[in-house]
Amino acid sequence: MNEPTALYTLKIGQSGRISGFASEEVPVKLYELGLIPGSFVTLRKKLPFGGPVCIQILETHNLIALRKSEARSILIERFL
Amino acid sequence: MKEKRIALVGNPNVGKSTLFNLLTGLRQKVGNYPGMTVEKKTGSFVYGNTKFNLIDLPGTYGIYPTSLDEQVVTDILNDPTHPNHPELAVVIGEPTNLKRSVFLFQQVRDLGIPALFVVNMMDEAEKSGIEFHKEKLNEKLETHVIFTDARNGKGIEELKNKLNSEPEFSEVNYRIPKEFVLAVAETRKLNSSLNDYQAWQYLAQNKIKNLSAEEEIYLNKIKSDNKIISRRLQVKETVNRYETINEMLENVLTRKERKSVSLTERIDQILIHPVLGYLIFFGLLLLIFQAVFAWSGPFMDFIDEGFTWLSGSVGSFLPEGPVNSLITDGIIAGIGGIVIFIPQIVILFLFISIMEESGYMSRVVYLMDRWLKPFGLSGKSAVPLMSGAACAIPAVMSARNIENDKERLITILVTPFMTCSARLPIYVVIIGLIIPEQTFYGFNLQGVALLVMYMLGILGVLGSAWILKKVIKSNFKSYLILELPTYKLPVWRNVLLTVWEKSSGFIFGAGKIILAISIILWVLGSFGMNEDFKNAEQIVSIQNPGLKGQELENEIASYKLEHSILGNMGQVIEPVIKPLGYDWKMGIGLISSFAAREVFVGTMATVYSLGDTEDELTIRGRMAKEINQATAKPAYNFASGVSLLLFYAFAMQCMSTIAVVRKETDSWKWTVIQLIFMTGLAYIAALIAYQILK
Repeated sequence: MNEPTALYTLKIGQSGRISGFASEEVPVKLYELGLIPGSFVTLRKKLPFGGPVCIQILETHNLIALRKSEARSILIERFL
Repeated sequence: MKEKRIALVGNPNVGKSTLFNLLTGLRQKVGNYPGMTVEKKTGSFVYGNTKFNLIDLPGTYGIYPTSLDEQVVTDILNDPTHPNHPELAVVIGEPTNLKRSVFLFQQVRDLGIPALFVVNMMDEAEKSGIEFHKEKLNEKLETHVIFTDARNGKGIEELKNKLNSEPEFSEVNYRIPKEFVLAVAETRKLNSSLNDYQAWQYLAQNKIKNLSAEEEIYLNKIKSDNKIISRRLQVKETVNRYETINEMLENVLTRKERKSVSLTERIDQILIHPVLGYLIFFGLLLLIFQAVFAWSGPFMDFIDEGFTWLSGSVGSFLPEGPVNSLITDGIIAGIGGIVIFIPQIVILFLFISIMEESGYMSRVVYLMDRWLKPFGLSGKSAVPLMSGAACAIPAVMSARNIENDKERLITILVTPFMTCSARLPIYVVIIGLIIPEQTFYGFNLQGVALLVMYMLGILGVLGSAWILKKVIKSNFKSYLILELPTYKLPVWRNVLLTVWEKSSGFIFGAGKIILAISIILWVLGSFGMNEDFKNAEQIVSIQNPGLKGQELENEIASYKLEHSILGNMGQVIEPVIKPLGYDWKMGIGLISSFAAREVFVGTMATVYSLGDTEDELTIRGRMAKEINQATAKPAYNFASGVSLLLFYAFAMQCMSTIAVVRKETDSWKWTVIQLIFMTGLAYIAALIAYQILK
């Protein structure tokens, strides 16, 4: 297991487990969507120039689009 | 007959509206919640011996609101005295993300509302190899679980059958965390009928409505004594619930390995590709605008001819006189002025609702967010801005799903800069007058000019948004958290219903105002206070002894207008608009345009004493000949034409939009600021252009 890194720094196709959040002020909506500590997520898409990213929670279909700022505040433990 | 209030509750993109449309058919109406502009969709149907009154609540993930849309859900579910508080909630979920739906289901039921659980879109379950153990799910959720596929009507009968049941459940699902048990017990003293979870709501919601001053003090004391921060409670509840749901759902469904890459994934490879995605989106925009202008042509001509005919035949049927003139020139012309825009609005909303239904709109939000964010807008602003190309009224209303208050306000304030269809007739006439019909390197110069006008609109949007971003303060951090649903073929019933709602909303909402203004204009233009007006016939025949028949009548009409109340108003404002290159006649056009821009061409026609107001070419011919008495140059020369175009591009000249903005922002301050800012900008731009070019 690695040091937690921000979700935003993952490469496309890489996955990890949410270990926590970098800030207390994360919107409650993130939690409501199931992005809670312990969830497995995969980074699926990234737009250039600091645009939003798309992530996918394990065992769900729909992608979730997040701004760079949200994707940075989600901390991920990666598995080698 | 027995009646029962039912609310449809569910996450976004679970086919809730499809289910609603299927249950109620056309027996539905769209209204507003009292004091809010969030659309309220209600409908009813009879099954057995009960009349079910349904309300389709906006999609939400939970009961802690972050947008106006979600606030409505919370207000209704959380307040048993609310007139729309349901006797039964139908919570709708979808099979590929059951947890999220169960999460909402439990919250709803913990509020003390009996609830059914519907798993919709069962076709998706088959496609992705998910199987449910129905009995286990029934047992775990302590309710009737109904599996439906609203797109083809599967399971609907069973759902209707169960609507009269009231599934009992044993206890509140959510266990209040130990450290808050005391605070919750204290809160329950507020109202003896509260259950633990309802009391918890008082502590966890950011805002509780309908509290008396005493109750509020009491509640605040509990909160501060126990060091309660509502947001933390919300997070705690959400995390705790997901933990129990994960355990609970362990054995209720089985998942087979997915065989292949899904269709949605393959489509997304292209549609949200970092390069291709943008190319396709802009290509689509071009197609839409092509359609709005080219396809609507024949329909608009048809409507135009229809109203000219109607006006003519009613005019010859009724006896001559003021009533005749009011009906033909005032009312029929006014209604015609509204109806003429229907084809463009229908076509645009057809595209927009197909984009929404298919799931593509979420991708547009995703693609555009990065480029709108620097201007204080959100990706979600793309939808209102696109709709604004048809009409700002529904566009402003569609900003309501933007969560952040600042982004929503800016979107509402800048959307009227988009080139709406009402500006088009003015642009066409004026460009026709001042730009030669030539091609330059293969481009039609008039077409290029029209394109420039559209660009100016977008420039107005981005420029003013950027300024507003610097000025407006926000209490909330802005974010984008958006689910991208799987692509689906649009359900045509939904598409047509949306188009119907939007266009009828425009016709009846804006129509009323436009109609009223047309009548007022007619009155102002048809009556005068002074002697010149009253003796118009005599004066004109003495001044122009050679004129006869139609020509004489036209001249009299023109003379009357000059000395009517409206004409006097034009002369009063002449000093203000002279630096822009306009004479008093154009001033009348401007005044009437403040009701609605599209009135300009019609007013100009009346001003220049043309009997037939509907034929743009003859108006253009007449306008080309018009001489400005002050400058002795053509009234519509290049300089005054450009000045007029700029004025119409920027000025806030639409009563209906002002009314909608007032309603949506719930603030006179911002409505007035918008009016002054837009019109001021228009004046300055027109002034500079005219002074340089003249």
